[in-house]
Amino acid sequence: MPPAGHRPLDPSLPPSTEVDNDDRAPYTPGSSSSLSSSSLYKHLRTPSTSSLNIRHPVDLRAITYDGAVDENLVCPICRCPLVDPVLTECDHIFCRACITDALSNTKLCPIDRSPLDSDGVSRAPKMVHNQLDSLKAKCPCCASSFARSMLENHVEKYCPEANVKCPGIYSEKYCKEVVKRRMSGRGCLHYPVECPDCKETLLLVEMEEHREASCNEKLKACEHCGVNILRCKESEHHEECPDVIRPCNWAEYGCQHEAKRTDLHLHADECSFKLVGPMADTLKKEIKLLRSDMRSLAETNHLQERRIKFLESAQRASDRPMELMDLSLANLPESANTEPLDSGHEYLLSLLESQQSRLSQLSNELTDFQGKNTMMLLNETIPIKNELSELRSTQQVTCMHVRWLMRFRMQENQRRFGGSPGPGPSGSPDGGGSSSDLPFSRRLSDSAPRDIITKL
Amino acid sequence: MAALPKRIIKETERLAKEPVPGISAVPHEDNLRYFDVSIHGPQTSPYEGRDGTVKHTHVHLSNVHVGGIFKLELFLPDDYPMTPPKIRFLTKIYHPNIDKLGRICLDVLKSNWSPALQIRTILLSIQALLGAPNPDDPLAPDVAKRWKEDQEGAIATAKEWTRTHAMT
Ligand SMILES: [Zn+2]
Ligand SMILES: [Zn+2]
Ligand SMILES: [Zn+2]
Ligand SMILES: [Zn+2]
Ligand SMILES: [Zn+2]
Ligand SMILES: [Zn+2]
Ligand SMILES: [Zn+2]
Repeated sequence: MPPAGHRPLDPSLPPSTEVDNDDRAPYTPGSSSSLSSSSLYKHLRTPSTSSLNIRHPVDLRAITYDGAVDENLVCPICRCPLVDPVLTECDHIFCRACITDALSNTKLCPIDRSPLDSDGVSRAPKMVHNQLDSLKAKCPCCASSFARSMLENHVEKYCPEANVKCPGIYSEKYCKEVVKRRMSGRGCLHYPVECPDCKETLLLVEMEEHREASCNEKLKACEHCGVNILRCKESEHHEECPDVIRPCNWAEYGCQHEAKRTDLHLHADECSFKLVGPMADTLKKEIKLLRSDMRSLAETNHLQERRIKFLESAQRASDRPMELMDLSLANLPESANTEPLDSGHEYLLSLLESQQSRLSQLSNELTDFQGKNTMMLLNETIPIKNELSELRSTQQVTCMHVRWLMRFRMQENQRRFGGSPGPGPSGSPDGGGSSSDLPFSRRLSDSAPRDIITKL
Repeated sequence: MAALPKRIIKETERLAKEPVPGISAVPHEDNLRYFDVSIHGPQTSPYEGRDGTVKHTHVHLSNVHVGGIFKLELFLPDDYPMTPPKIRFLTKIYHPNIDKLGRICLDVLKSNWSPALQIRTILLSIQALLGAPNPDDPLAPDVAKRWKEDQEGAIATAKEWTRTHAMT
């Protein structure tokens, strides 16, 4: 059973019974192994390849760097280009792991033996990191060169020779094996098949390597040249075998001659087609060129026809609204229509003109509309403004009333408690009265409430 | 056994490609941490293995070294380079800082080891030790004592030993 958190199955993936039992054709010999097995699986589509990726930590000390690395970028302890470099207080540079390891033995700098502990170690400057990141190194799987910082990503996501999960993990078979990425597009290859050469039974995934390397019957003598060749590479060899019988170069123009590949050049001089052949070849090329030209011209033509049709229909559609709007300019296309138009070009020009006048008409209307709108807005807002000022004056009156009441109340209180000696407020009623030029609102909001609070 | 660290591979390669003059170190095929080392006795030292009257110009006339050649064994422990290599003289040698068992008294092989040191630097130090014996920090007390009291006699013995043990 697949684990709880696994990806949803690709719906295009056939039920695994199909893969596991009936539909599994026996491993067919002949041609190349990759060919026969890819045709076996052409009906299979594997889940998106990224879901098969495996984390591949790359040991930066075990890889091979291109060319000599600058001695300044080499760690004095592990003698490899620095990995996560750090700088010591005494200005020496090491890998973080190396110096940590060294300091756990002795608290001395390995180079100058000055006292040093882990606090005296800090990340090396960015520039050093950048220099190291751009060092070119070989992929441990496929041996192509990449910037060191890109290696891990390459191996994890792209390298054809790196291992990925077998796509069978998403089938009911739940295969937990790994395969090389370049073989992962062919479904699960972890089932036994028989080697067509030695009849030994082994997993299909190992077949390619077996037939190329370890198979006892991997070699056979070429039936044409007698040289020992790999059975699985026979067809490739026949493509270049010197002894294979080949037809004359001009066979398609009628030459019947056949000879071994190596001897064919001897016939070239005496072939009766040696003059006609090259000419026919050039002609053939030219015809091909002309045909492709014709095809592209036809395409352009077709495209232009469609464009004209579209414009015509647009014109027809634009006539109607203009009539409805009863514009003085709307009869331009009408008048244009009455004139006999001998070319589509003129017709299109007149169409354009009428559209332009319509456009200016529309923009005029829009300006009108905007003006109207502004007027309406003003009309609406004026009463509101009036109302607002009215409300404001009412509020002021109310404020006056409240203030009068408050003062009245305060005087009453003073009288009742025999004039309690509040520091400011005791003199405030008279003082406030004298500075009567202050707006009411301010007196109220500022001092009055505070006075009340201190009083109560 | 764990894979050989890149550092050891590199050191071995460099020792083969750019050998230190007068020193060779070759790893065993079956154990790449175990080296057969030979060091030529330094010129003008009692370990040179020639008579003082012979001109040194003859020494390099042929590729074959005709003076004293001292064999050593060198082993790189698992935590090398965090700990120093283990080195021992196999050839008998009369030297105040080297004992009967061939053990060497050299600070960089013990307390003063640093992971930044390498096989080649260590072997150079040993070669230098042959050229400059230090009887004040002895490992072979009897040799050191004689070296201090009768230096000429001690040097003669060292030359004698070199001829009998290091020149076969
Ligand atoms: Zn390091
Ligand atoms: Zn330092
Ligand atoms: Zn790769
Ligand atoms: Zn599988
Ligand atoms: Zn086979
Ligand atoms: Zn052939
Ligand atoms: Zn021909």
